[in-house]
Amino acid sequence: MSDSSSSRPLVTFAGVSKRYGGVTAVHTMNLEIYEGEFLAIMGPSGCGKTTSLRMLAGLEEPSDGEIRLDGQRINEISSVERDTPMVWQSLALFPFLNVQKNVEFGLKMRQVPAEERQARASKWLERMEILELAERDISQLSGGQKQRVALARSLVTEPRILLLDEPLSALDANLVIRMQGVLSRLQKELGITFVYVTHSQSEAFAMSDRVVIMSQGRIEQLGSPKEIYRSPASRFVADFVGANNILSGTISQAGENLEIETALGVFQCDTGTKPAHHVGDSLDMVISADLVQMSLDDPNTQNSLECRFISEEFVGSIVTLFAELEDRSDFKIQTRQRDLAKMSLEEGDTFFVSWSAADTHLISSGRHLDA
Amino acid sequence: MPIVIWQLIFFVFPLIFLVVLSFWLVKNYRMVPGFDTINWVKMFSKGYFWDAYWRTLGYAGVATIVTSILAFPCAFALAFKVSPKVRRWALFFLIVPFFTSYLVRTYSWQIFLNDNGIFNTLFALVGLGPFQLLNNFFGTLVGYLTLCLPLVVVLQLISLANVDRTLIEAAHNLGCGRLRTVFQVIVPLAKIGIILGAVFTFILTFGDFVSPYYLGGSKPPTLSILIIDTTKSGQQWPRAAVVAIVMIVTLLTIMFASVAAAYRKRS
Repeated sequence: MSDSSSSRPLVTFAGVSKRYGGVTAVHTMNLEIYEGEFLAIMGPSGCGKTTSLRMLAGLEEPSDGEIRLDGQRINEISSVERDTPMVWQSLALFPFLNVQKNVEFGLKMRQVPAEERQARASKWLERMEILELAERDISQLSGGQKQRVALARSLVTEPRILLLDEPLSALDANLVIRMQGVLSRLQKELGITFVYVTHSQSEAFAMSDRVVIMSQGRIEQLGSPKEIYRSPASRFVADFVGANNILSGTISQAGENLEIETALGVFQCDTGTKPAHHVGDSLDMVISADLVQMSLDDPNTQNSLECRFISEEFVGSIVTLFAELEDRSDFKIQTRQRDLAKMSLEEGDTFFVSWSAADTHLISSGRHLDA
Repeated sequence: MPIVIWQLIFFVFPLIFLVVLSFWLVKNYRMVPGFDTINWVKMFSKGYFWDAYWRTLGYAGVATIVTSILAFPCAFALAFKVSPKVRRWALFFLIVPFFTSYLVRTYSWQIFLNDNGIFNTLFALVGLGPFQLLNNFFGTLVGYLTLCLPLVVVLQLISLANVDRTLIEAAHNLGCGRLRTVFQVIVPLAKIGIILGAVFTFILTFGDFVSPYYLGGSKPPTLSILIIDTTKSGQQWPRAAVVAIVMIVTLLTIMFASVAAAYRKRS
């Protein structure tokens, strides 16, 4: 939902920390999650994303701070009492119950009468297109089917929020794409909040309205997938998300037409209408691999570099090229297979890369500066 | 094939011999090879045989239930409430009793449980007793627990320790309270260990003669005591063989039924 920021937060993390002994897993986290949004929490393993989700589910208790659900402090409310169902990476289906009984479990715990229980479970199995599997054992199901049972089991109580902890990481690539579609559609149809923890950029970006990037227990950036992709707020985000080339340097000319001096030369940056920076400020210049042009001849523009072809990684119609600059640092280029074929590059061949001043993005001491 | 030969020599041949023996005759206190169903007819028509049979079944059944129920809280605490280090030490101490002879442990209970033993002395201090703790089923049960409890705790503990913690969290997450989770989720997941512990208790107590003899006072007799009595009185080894075969068949039936229940997919 694009207008999510105008609605009232369903969940609030207010200065939430979690410490295990001397280790801080989550560090004074402040986050508002809105009614009806699809929020992804993304980061490398050990960044605190799963711990945050578990605190929201009541499976871990915050060491500090307050978690609010619908404005109410829930720190002291046990997991049993919260209606914050979760889908686990392992799915955590009960192997001693059949599909139907698994789905009915949450209703049974809420003392829903047997007949109603059965009807509601069947409705969800039908919605997940697995009604014919109702009597099966869990061990007889495929990965995708188990996935659907886990979703039905969590949603059968009609909660306002669903927590998902890397639920697709055990599936093969084709099935992941299909389940992404299922999850996306489900979230839109139900209009409830999904909080989705993942280490996968493609999963996070494909489904969510907003993405939280975490590192070492802290939120590095919070924004729409596009914002995070095009305007990484920190060096960490630029490294972690997308395929970015990062050149470090200092400002040699401030003002409208900013120039950055790096070990490889001076480059132009179009900072748009953002405030001017001072000469001598050090910063990182981010050039996204998909915004780079390639040519065999020197394009004779200021924003170009000569590099040597190392290898390519072919993924469908898009190819990622790995090249080496004159100071032996890496440079990545993403281009169409068709365009690359025209250049017929061999390993060790030199070529030129160039980019527009408007396509560069600047990061300085943890905050971002440009358009 | 060595395993087959081994099985034949130590398991199948003795069993066949036992069956053959049950058809032999005893004349002038001496066994005579033959084929006569008289031993089977005699034993099956005796009231004391059937009394002993149901009694033994009942004793073993009660011992199985009591042992399983007493073992569970202990195994549960060791599986979920203590550190791995404490668990390892506890496992060690659960195995230690097997270092000493079961007979010796039974004898020491005789001293503890008699009218002047430590329990009745303590009861007397508060003006109670003396209670009869020996030469009745209570004494027998204490002996059975001595024999089985550590083993059952270990078997249940192994099963409980392997329970996937995520499933417990999932149960809480779906609104299942702590105590309810124990019965709705943990017990079904640890079913194999719980049933295995129960089966071992049943097998060990059904055939045991030490506890009913030394702590239960040997009267009324269980089947194992009946076997001893039968062999002592007039060299009736063939009739003892009949009792033994009945016991084996009973145990095999119960064991197969339990294992089938343990490994059945759904409860």
